[in-house]
Amino acid sequence: MDTFFSTYGFLMVQMMLQALLGLSLYFPMMAGQLSLASPGFYALGGYIAAVISTKVVVTQGMYPFHLLLLEILLGAMASGVLALLVGIPALRLKGIYLALATIAFVEILRVVSLNLDITGGAVGIFGIPQPFANPLSYALLVLPLLILVAWFAARLERSRVGRAFTAIREDELAADAMGINPTYYKVLAFVIGAMVAGGIGAISAHFLNTWNARQGTFDAAINVLAYVLIGGSRTFWGAIVGGFALTALPEILRPLGDLRLIVNGLLLVIGAIYLPQGLIRPAWLAALGKRKVALVQPKGEL
Amino acid sequence: MKKQMYLPVAAVLLGIVAAQKTATPIPIGVSVAQTSNTALLGKEQVIGAQIAEEFYNGRGGINGTAFKLFFEDTGGDEAGAINAFQTQINKNRVVAIVGPTLSQQAFAADKIADAAKVPVIGPSNTARGIPQIGDFVARVSAPVAIVAPNSVRAALKINPSMKKAAVFYAQNDAFATSETGTFQETAKAQGLEVVTVQKFQTTDSDFTSQVSAALALKPDLAIVSGLAADGGNLVKQLRIAGYKGVIIGGNGLNTANMFPVCQQYCDGVLIAQAYAPTAPGALNAAFRTVYKNKYRKEPPQFTAQAFTAVQVIVEALRTLDKKSKVADMELADLRIKLNAQILIGKYNTPLGEITFDKEGEVQQKNFYVAQIKMNPDGKTGSFEFLK
Repeated sequence: MDTFFSTYGFLMVQMMLQALLGLSLYFPMMAGQLSLASPGFYALGGYIAAVISTKVVVTQGMYPFHLLLLEILLGAMASGVLALLVGIPALRLKGIYLALATIAFVEILRVVSLNLDITGGAVGIFGIPQPFANPLSYALLVLPLLILVAWFAARLERSRVGRAFTAIREDELAADAMGINPTYYKVLAFVIGAMVAGGIGAISAHFLNTWNARQGTFDAAINVLAYVLIGGSRTFWGAIVGGFALTALPEILRPLGDLRLIVNGLLLVIGAIYLPQGLIRPAWLAALGKRKVALVQPKGEL
Repeated sequence: MKKQMYLPVAAVLLGIVAAQKTATPIPIGVSVAQTSNTALLGKEQVIGAQIAEEFYNGRGGINGTAFKLFFEDTGGDEAGAINAFQTQINKNRVVAIVGPTLSQQAFAADKIADAAKVPVIGPSNTARGIPQIGDFVARVSAPVAIVAPNSVRAALKINPSMKKAAVFYAQNDAFATSETGTFQETAKAQGLEVVTVQKFQTTDSDFTSQVSAALALKPDLAIVSGLAADGGNLVKQLRIAGYKGVIIGGNGLNTANMFPVCQQYCDGVLIAQAYAPTAPGALNAAFRTVYKNKYRKEPPQFTAQAFTAVQVIVEALRTLDKKSKVADMELADLRIKLNAQILIGKYNTPLGEITFDKEGEVQQKNFYVAQIKMNPDGKTGSFEFLK
């Protein structure tokens, strides 16, 4: 067991972080907005944490936990504000045009970070201090955060705001006619997603020991999109399962050596062809829920 | 078959991980990029490591005990490098790791190895700050700041009357960005005036604006830091625009892949390197012969450096083994002793004679400057080493 956790501790936390990143993309998608901006906010949050912990507050030994929380908060707030500024004009675009605009946004952030001195140019920032003794301990922070965000997503799906998101996703014109303000809700969904991505970036910078412009790229955006598409885009479980599965898959396939990426790609293609709605569908969850209720009820009477 | 599998599984489940003996053959980890776009470099490193494995095992291994290389792919990103390192340390139980390919990956993964007290030797990490990651991190790849100035000095030898230098670099490439800093400082230190610094991206193919802006200032030295395709195109466009002066290429242009790009215009470009296939020494001659017989071309720098990294570990193990059998040592103990031995040893490698300083920074004696000579067909050429 010891060996298992020391070998895969990093991977487990990485899976949770990627699931959270998947969730950050799921929020705008709830309102029908295909936004690929998550890695941009993720990179921004990471840079904020990296700069604070290496340049602003210089500490010896273990990095204080409360400062990490502060960085997460700052990363989320900065991403939220930026999302508001970018979202209002960008969300006038629809579908593929919005996706293109968000790709451009990620590219702009990347080029800016390459050219600034404070972000360390192309080499990036390294020697980021550790708030935890080993990679697995990050789970103490990341797992509750994942549960919190997932709980928030679950509550959101059933709330008035969540229903407004769904209405816009299904038919924006009809939603508008029913008195839902599409711009308001679309920007709201975009900002929520950005705040999650920014906060996750702040943790990831510590987690990876280093941060650079390669973290927020078009490639990363496509990866995160794949989490949601392969996992299923109609329930938050999809983003979580997709993030877990696609992060773990290359490592599970490691014994295959050179073949592993071929098998990995093959599984993705098969998934996309035979499960076009993703691994997790709301209908299945509903069926699962009913069975659970049926199982629990007799127990309740005892 | 099945029964044999139960025992280790049971041991793992019960958490029986008492003091670990070193496995035989002695495991050494090699984690470089075998996939992703970084694999262009990583594949060359794999070849170097494999040649070293065959070469040294054919010559008695560790004083009679064989060693085995474990290859775990890092991919091109930081998380991949950390996962590969974790597998090497905990699953393959290696005594030391050679890798990773990129400096950014090293900043992420070397810290993990350092915390686990496993020696790491960087075969190609050239950024500032790598040996300072921790006590267990060393490298055989000389940093940019040491290699690059040699070509400026060589250029001044060719044309001592040079005054103005124009500098070009790919701003999205980590290596090119730190290299250009060194080039600019060296040029100034050698009394040259840096008249312009032009930026481009490694994905660019049209350099008209950079070239015309630079040529308007009439430089007599052009310094290009980029990768093969973009650097090659920039060299070509500089020459087509009528530039007659000396051109210095950075390490990214240190590959024959550039020849088809700039063709006859590549001729005369100066490049400083940490390795020369024609360098003297019996070991380099043997290494070169093995490589040439297999691949019908000269070994590239990355292959020679990967060979050197494995060689350093093997020779340090041999020295340790003479004091007490390494195969009988406990793994954790061996890793610590091996690290100390790596740092104090002196190695005669294909790169020439190298040692390490206290931090693990390589101290290399010789560097080389090559000048590209294109054949009359304009498609093939070679690196001619200047004395």
